[in-house]
Amino acid sequence: MTTATFTPTVAEATQAGFFPSRHTVEIVDNRKLTDGVYRLTFRDEYIAGHARPAQFVDVYSNDPTRLMPRPFGVAEVNGDEVSLMFAVVGKGTAEFARLQAGDTVRVMGPLGNSFNTKEPANYVLVAGGLGVPPLVRAAQAIAGTPGATSTAVFGYRNVHFGDEYVGRYADSVYSIDESEGNVITLLDRISDELMNGELKPAILSCGPLPMMKAVAAWAAKHGIECQLSLEQRMGCGYGTCVLCTVDTLDGRLKVCSDGPVFTRERLGWGE
Amino acid sequence: MTTDSMQHGNLYERHEWKHSTKVAGVPWKNPVATASGTFQYAAVRWFYDVSQLGAVTTKGVSPVPWEGNPGIRTAEGPSSNINAVGLQNPGVDHYLEDDLPKLKAINATVIANVAGHCDDDYAEVVAKLDDSPADMLEINVSCPNVSAGGMSVGTDPVALSRLITRLRRITDKKMIVKLTPNVTDITVPARAAVESGADALSLINTLLGMRINIRTGEPVITHVTGGVSGPAVLPVGLAAVWRVRTALPGIPIIGIGGIDSGEKALEYLYAGANAVEVGAAALFEPTAPLRVARELDDLLDTRPELADKLAGGETWR
Repeated sequence: MTTATFTPTVAEATQAGFFPSRHTVEIVDNRKLTDGVYRLTFRDEYIAGHARPAQFVDVYSNDPTRLMPRPFGVAEVNGDEVSLMFAVVGKGTAEFARLQAGDTVRVMGPLGNSFNTKEPANYVLVAGGLGVPPLVRAAQAIAGTPGATSTAVFGYRNVHFGDEYVGRYADSVYSIDESEGNVITLLDRISDELMNGELKPAILSCGPLPMMKAVAAWAAKHGIECQLSLEQRMGCGYGTCVLCTVDTLDGRLKVCSDGPVFTRERLGWGE
Repeated sequence: MTTDSMQHGNLYERHEWKHSTKVAGVPWKNPVATASGTFQYAAVRWFYDVSQLGAVTTKGVSPVPWEGNPGIRTAEGPSSNINAVGLQNPGVDHYLEDDLPKLKAINATVIANVAGHCDDDYAEVVAKLDDSPADMLEINVSCPNVSAGGMSVGTDPVALSRLITRLRRITDKKMIVKLTPNVTDITVPARAAVESGADALSLINTLLGMRINIRTGEPVITHVTGGVSGPAVLPVGLAAVWRVRTALPGIPIIGIGGIDSGEKALEYLYAGANAVEVGAAALFEPTAPLRVARELDDLLDTRPELADKLAGGETWR
């Protein structure tokens, strides 16, 4: 009779070349940023130690009738704490909004590929609404990259909920809401500054599909490199079920494991 | 950190299995396999050593690459998932060059799932797999998400007989026919498959289902309908296995549907299955198939009569 005694540590599992499956973590903070938008922080050594910009975490409901994970881009990592930002869009996310410090939840990650933020460039972080979180994480990573700077260009419906967080890391922050215009309005306003800066600009973007297509077209017009982090209704999150696809010039690819980051050229956007 | 699966032992070390099974004479290390469509080696290999499973059933392969269905392919149901992938796959040639040799190199027992839009498609794939190291073939005549082939064959006993008779002439490999529950009486296609030369049956594939977005009044999934799987379908799968076992004593059966624990796998074995496949559970817990296998291995310790029957290629009933 085999007894269940051995539990590999994160370090042992990583060394063995295996990835930690779904596991339980403790919530350390959950706060409302604006109506229906929350910032959830949990403690997890593995995810905190590995999450790169645009990578996401699958969060699982504690309700046994809701089985499929909800994917959220990592917004920030501090020590062994991982923060996500999400909007309440259904019953699953409503449940996560009610989580409190000390509660537990099951997670898996970090999943997917990431933005390349390793080049000496001025990264222009263009986000709309709930596209903001992965770009906060990008600003955090870029702040630790010698020779690179970041300029946040955020668009909101109304409340500018991400500015405080990205402001901790970005070299400059521009934001706008629907009463004044959108991220393209902002990009047009600062384009001279971006194009004539010391470092060449490179766009990283996440947000609603029409916004990202407009950003890709803007990047093409100005001859700027553009990486886009896509959203799609997902299944497993790790590449086995093939439920979250996007049509690219390389064929129909999986958003969760071939992405979520694709270059403008690969998507054939903004041509 | 505690993962769900680690509560049941170390998935990182080779396990000495106590209880094996045989399906149509093919030995399995234990009675648990993955279900087709939920297993991609490139994705799953990061989580555990897949060669430890009784068998791995790979995603359906077609003669040429298929792109599958466009748009939104999934929705959630109560204790279930709905998928409308449409058998996206890189084609049989890629499978023979990539997935299959990699799986055989680690000594996995491999069931190659075969898809087609017409009889010629199935025949072409089976002919290529006949000359491969695949251990068994599983013929998918039950996918609800393709416009031709798939379920349209599995719900028509005449078309099913014609197809299986033709495939039987092409290969001596053990051929499993995977059945759809979307019929009035599943014993009718089951009998048609067996009388045409199937060596074993696997059941059930997904149930036809859909969700509607009440903000727009429109279907959530672009393809409108998809296949329902997950714990919600367990009772449907069990009844199907029970009825086919009663109608066709002696035919090897692989039970599928809603299995996410050793206990649920055991229910299928008591219903008369020789083995089981774990599907949707792997979408929300990557290591679920191996956890189920470990749990079942321990549960069979206290059921020596059942364990002995399975090891000898027999079934409980």
